[in-house]
Amino acid sequence: MFSRTTACRGAQRAARQQAVRPAQRRGLAAPASGSFQYQSGEANGVKFASRDFAGPTTTLALVSKAGTRYQPLPGLTEGVMNYAFRSTDRRSTLRIIRESELLGAELNPYHTRENLVLETKFLRDDLPYFVELLAEVASSTKYSPHVYHEEVLPLIHFAHKRFLANPLDMAINSAHSLAFHRGLGTPTASASTTPYTKYLEPSTIEWFSKVAYAKPNFAIVANGAEHSDLSKWVNEFFDDVPATAPENTAGTEQTKYYGGEERIAHDSANAMVIAFPGSSSFTGKFYKPEIAVLGSLLGGQSSIKWSSGFSLLGNAKASPGTKVKTTSAIYSDAGLLYTTITGAAENVAKTAYTTVEILKKIAGGDIAKEDIAKAKANAKFKELEYGQDVKAGLLLTGDGLVSNSQAYQIDEVAKAIDGVTDEAVKSAAKSLLENKASVSAVGDLFALPYAEDLGLKV
Amino acid sequence: MSAPSLAPYILKRPWLAKWFQPLANWYCNAAGYRQLGLKADDLIPEENDTVQLALKRLPPKEAYDRVFRLRRAFQCSVSHQLLPKAEWIKPEEDTPYLSVVIKEIEAEMKEREDLESMIVQKRNQNAKGH
Repeated sequence: MFSRTTACRGAQRAARQQAVRPAQRRGLAAPASGSFQYQSGEANGVKFASRDFAGPTTTLALVSKAGTRYQPLPGLTEGVMNYAFRSTDRRSTLRIIRESELLGAELNPYHTRENLVLETKFLRDDLPYFVELLAEVASSTKYSPHVYHEEVLPLIHFAHKRFLANPLDMAINSAHSLAFHRGLGTPTASASTTPYTKYLEPSTIEWFSKVAYAKPNFAIVANGAEHSDLSKWVNEFFDDVPATAPENTAGTEQTKYYGGEERIAHDSANAMVIAFPGSSSFTGKFYKPEIAVLGSLLGGQSSIKWSSGFSLLGNAKASPGTKVKTTSAIYSDAGLLYTTITGAAENVAKTAYTTVEILKKIAGGDIAKEDIAKAKANAKFKELEYGQDVKAGLLLTGDGLVSNSQAYQIDEVAKAIDGVTDEAVKSAAKSLLENKASVSAVGDLFALPYAEDLGLKV
Repeated sequence: MSAPSLAPYILKRPWLAKWFQPLANWYCNAAGYRQLGLKADDLIPEENDTVQLALKRLPPKEAYDRVFRLRRAFQCSVSHQLLPKAEWIKPEEDTPYLSVVIKEIEAEMKEREDLESMIVQKRNQNAKGH
């Protein structure tokens, strides 16, 4: 039998560890989970998901289905976003800011096309404080007119200015609106001042906040929090949040792809976006992994220093100073595969011609097997790295929970990409060329070509 | 901007308020601002940042009405006349519309000062570990 002292010491140590680090029970020696899987659940009618990364910090976000796609009037999403973390019934803006600063936290509200995200980052121990803060923002923010005029409106105006000064942003937004018209096509920032001078008012923003922060429309996602803890606090704090949303049908219908061409004159730089219908997110109904591979194959940006990379566009672009990037933007029920080209006008034009030629080559099967293999590996890496990235993971998971009541499982996405065949990539490229493209040119319109010249259908 | 006042003390005690009510009514009438078509809040000196901010925060309709009352009172004062009796501000119309906003702003400023002069201490549970 072991002596009394040994038994006691073990018990003591166990007790001490429990007391000192209750939140990090998984020590260094224990195998950390290599999985990206989120555990999802529901408490008090609120959907939430978490994954317990061992580490001293937590990222907690409220992901709401209230991006620009779902706004019934222009600018409402930006309005709600800029009202977040401002005075509530219990605390003033200043107090919220100072308290978060004292806890060493970060507050970051932002929005995408489909989601409004209130993101907070903090030390692990402060989880209850921030769950409470998010609940407070969702349930009792004061939408006072003076806050709108003094704090919210200037921010919206800055976003508008920033948007106008960025040709690439303009081109991407223009391509989206060509492709999807309303709904997903709604620009993420306003291109003119009309939306917020004509339609935006504190009372309408308050109405839309009721939509955004209704229980069926948002999810709480945490990275680095214990599932049981999160469940407990969500259950405790989310009482006052409305259980049902006022009716809002904007953006809820199935997205349809249209396509077309838009040309915008701009002084400061040149940008061209060539876009095709893409793949929905993995949690959506129109998931096509071959689009991600095709995106990597076209590529444009090298992942390796001092080399133009393997991607076809990376090698074929007109000059080293021309920036090319292919993105497969995924949304809950549709997607857009787009190539952005920026640089000097002549080079942008040349590269645009090359892009279409390369697409034709891929469709014709005139492509090395090796390149497709590289593209597959790259697409898989990007996808997994993206999943590891906390911010993207939160967004995709929250969106999956709210839109399709299923968390985004990155492991399965990687498997799907593994299963893509060369044939699938070729036929995907072929179908892109057969469909209508969305082409948007911003900048020196004398030099930038029309879609017709490129050989695309619009 | 707010001067020391006995009013809250008196209003808290209904019996005392009842005593003072006639005196207060007499005083308001004797002050004569209602006869010029002004509300008590129109008399608050506006030459300071707090009140300027409060004026900015007024809803457009209230701001318009305020300017109207001030101009009308100014006209009356210049022509050494009172308004016709029907246009006098009635006691029930003499509501605080600006002092509410001013109080809010003062509370905000006080909170800021309190937070600024705060002394940060380590939380007990964290302090123990060191």
